[in-house]
Amino acid sequence: MKAPSLGEFEELVLLMVAALHNEAYGVAILESLETKLSKKVNISAIHVALKRMEEKGFVKSRFGGITADRGGRRKKFYVITAFGKQALDQQYSIRTELYQQIPEISFN
Amino acid sequence: MRPTPPHRAIKFLRWFCREDFIEEVEGDLIEIFEMQFEDSPKKARRKFYWSVLKYFRPEFIKAFSNQNSNYLTMQRHNLKLTIRSFLKYRSQFLINLIGLSTAIAAVLFIYLWVSDELGMDKFHQKDEQLFQIYSNHSDAAGISTWKGVPGLLKDELETVPEVESSTVYTDTHDFTLSSNDSYFRALGKFADSSFFDVFSYQLLSGGNKNPLKDESAIIISESLAQKLFGSTDVIGKSVTWHFWEKQKEVFVSGVMKNTPNTSSDQFDFIMSWEFYHDMIEYKQWGNYYARIVVAINNPANQQQAASTIDKIFKENAQTEKVTLFLKKYSDQYLFGNYENGKEAGGRIEYVRLFSIVAFFILFIACINFINLSTAKASQRTKEISVKKTLGASRPSLINQHLTESVLISVASMFLALGLVWVLLPQFNLVSGKALSFAFTWPFALTAISVVVFVGLIAGSYPALYLSSFDPIALLKGKLAKGKGEVRGRQVLVVIQFALSIILIVAVIVVQGQMSFLQNKNLGYDRDNILYFEREGKILENSETVLHAIKQVKGVEGAALSGFIIGGGNSTGGVDWEGKTEEDQIQFWEIKAGTGMLELMGMEMAAGREFTEEFSADSASVIINETALEAMGMEDPIGKTITHYTGEKKIVGVVKDFNLISLHTKIEPMIILYNPKETHFVIAKLEKGNEAQTIQGIEEVYKKINPGYVFKPQFLDQDYEALYKAEQRVSGLAKYFSALAILISCLGLFGLSAFTLERRTKEIGIRKVLGAGQFNILYLLSGDFTKMILIGILISLPVSYYLADQWLANFAFHISLSWWIFALAGVSALAVAWLTVSIQTIKASNTNPVDTLKSE
Repeated sequence: MKAPSLGEFEELVLLMVAALHNEAYGVAILESLETKLSKKVNISAIHVALKRMEEKGFVKSRFGGITADRGGRRKKFYVITAFGKQALDQQYSIRTELYQQIPEISFN
Repeated sequence: MRPTPPHRAIKFLRWFCREDFIEEVEGDLIEIFEMQFEDSPKKARRKFYWSVLKYFRPEFIKAFSNQNSNYLTMQRHNLKLTIRSFLKYRSQFLINLIGLSTAIAAVLFIYLWVSDELGMDKFHQKDEQLFQIYSNHSDAAGISTWKGVPGLLKDELETVPEVESSTVYTDTHDFTLSSNDSYFRALGKFADSSFFDVFSYQLLSGGNKNPLKDESAIIISESLAQKLFGSTDVIGKSVTWHFWEKQKEVFVSGVMKNTPNTSSDQFDFIMSWEFYHDMIEYKQWGNYYARIVVAINNPANQQQAASTIDKIFKENAQTEKVTLFLKKYSDQYLFGNYENGKEAGGRIEYVRLFSIVAFFILFIACINFINLSTAKASQRTKEISVKKTLGASRPSLINQHLTESVLISVASMFLALGLVWVLLPQFNLVSGKALSFAFTWPFALTAISVVVFVGLIAGSYPALYLSSFDPIALLKGKLAKGKGEVRGRQVLVVIQFALSIILIVAVIVVQGQMSFLQNKNLGYDRDNILYFEREGKILENSETVLHAIKQVKGVEGAALSGFIIGGGNSTGGVDWEGKTEEDQIQFWEIKAGTGMLELMGMEMAAGREFTEEFSADSASVIINETALEAMGMEDPIGKTITHYTGEKKIVGVVKDFNLISLHTKIEPMIILYNPKETHFVIAKLEKGNEAQTIQGIEEVYKKINPGYVFKPQFLDQDYEALYKAEQRVSGLAKYFSALAILISCLGLFGLSAFTLERRTKEIGIRKVLGAGQFNILYLLSGDFTKMILIGILISLPVSYYLADQWLANFAFHISLSWWIFALAGVSALAVAWLTVSIQTIKASNTNPVDTLKSE
């Protein structure tokens, strides 16, 4: 079977989930992404990416405890799985490899 | 205080969003909202709405059907129960399935037939505007209605403002065509150049723009082109047309598609009307030799157009006895009969008849379903009461039983479609149609409505009945509704058998009338008489031909004859001494050579036949008894009448014989001696060796007339062709009524099986107490016999009335004697007894020990 693919935006979200470790939930990811990318991102786009990656097995999720914030709704935290990490590594190595193949000459 | 996000947006989100996502999504949205609220409450609200809308996508929308999962589960449960009950009561299921599917197949067949009949001649684009001109001729005997009009009328029609266009043509006739010395017979007609403007027969491209304008033009169909030339690219090729002593070389000016099956007029070529009109000698306002169809601008103007046309006609024809009127072109096929100038049905009666039969059959099959399901109800009472106790509502129980009936009707429909598919060629054979089983929306719609009709009609009564049980009484073991329920079933069985008996009577009457027609003495001998058209050399030396044919072994005699079954020419142009204005009569006119009457077994009432000894016979005429009566002559032999071709001396009176058909009474007729212009050679063959004799005649024909096609026809076949419609209908009726009685018996079989099953203990006890086998049989058959007797009583007056109506269509018909009804009743009773006895005998033979030992 073909390995599930990882889209560009999904990759960004996955990286952010990994970076935030244990503290990654919708709004946190949104905020960090917006600062890093310095552009507006819609929360629904992040949710879609998370749901899809959860289906593919790149992340897994758990609910946090109830707080008075957020109108009493629990946060849903995401963590990267080993499979997700593997996908990231693969993506990373392909990119580095390709990057290193760039001949110096092409910039002159 | 915390800011609250827009209430309506949250409500909307909760309505559509998947339950497992809602908390997370809502939480995140609120968190963002709260953050943004500090900056700008308005913007935050707007953003909130916008974000909620962005979630409205497939990933987040829940499966809405889940909401009604209870309903779905119930449906699934019903389906499962239905299938289980089918499996459990297999015989009942099979009886229903067989009954319903054959009934539905019959209905589909009838639908195909009826829709084909109704669609006849409707393919013309101007269908709504097309009207045929008819003429009503009144004479002493009443009004007779013809399609014919004087051809001269056509040119006058241009002055009628309501008439957009019109076309004049002749009836289709069987002609000989030749090309390069090969001869073919083909059906053709003459028509003027506007024929293709008025009708929608399709011309293939490549021909002339106005292909009938030229006198020597001919339009041929694709199949005829293939036959004559082996190709359809034949514009300009030459064909020779032969008719009797006339010939004409014509050139193909156009090729048309074969006339569609939906056209009642089937022909293979058309030639120019101008040619025909120049050729004939009877171009007069008093002769009704042409057919005219007009396209009027607005169908609403029919009356107005008709009266204008009639006025023009009356001015020219100088007669008050004939009135022209218009009839919608496509109505002619179904409403073709006229009685005394008034429309009197036609094929539409058969269309109606079969529609009713279809309904009968379906109804009978539905009754089976109802009877069997209510009968079986007692065995399902426990299931129903347990369900009711557990809180099942009545609508949900009704729903369950309707599911069952709709499911069985859907299954029957599929089976029926298969049956139709398999049996369609057979059906086409019997009905004489070329129906095809193609998917069309109207057909699909009919099929679906039949399924719904059957499902609901057959299912609703059992559903209502079964769901009305009182669970407490039922669980205690009481089936409260005893008598009424049984009575209801009995009434339905009575109706079933009444309908079946009506159909049986119909079949017997139709068959009886058909064989009456076939064996009726018409006043002439039609068996073993062969005739063929005079063409080519046979026109010139007819004496030699007759002589040669008489020499062929097996030929009893030969003569020249103009006799055609079904009529021929008719004329009003006969005058006699003492004729008054009221005596304007139409005479059928037959031309004959010597010896024709004797050969055909016609008897003379007075005088003599045309014979060779009297060479002066060229001015002789023979009349029939009806003509004699109509003219009011006494001692007619030797008197003179004035025919439009000259004075004629009456030399004989022939006894009445039936020329037209037994639908009509015998009409006045004159037989003219004119061997030169008679169209046919007839020969009487000896019985027994016909095939060889025909071959002998063909050899003679080929020798004298090389090249021409020898196409012998037989009088008895022509005669039978007159009643083709009736014969087809009687064939179909036979099948459908057999089906009806079969389905009824199927139901009776199921019902009796059920009754016996419930009475096994009773029978056992009766046997133990000393009842004999006959007693048991009597007891068990008694109920059914009573029902069928009542059915017979109900059906007899109805079937008598219907049969009487149908027979009134024939001037000569069988009388309805009591034995027809007795036979129908007794056969229904016998079939029913047979059905029931299969089971009663089994029941009465069972050892009571077997039925009584266990409780």
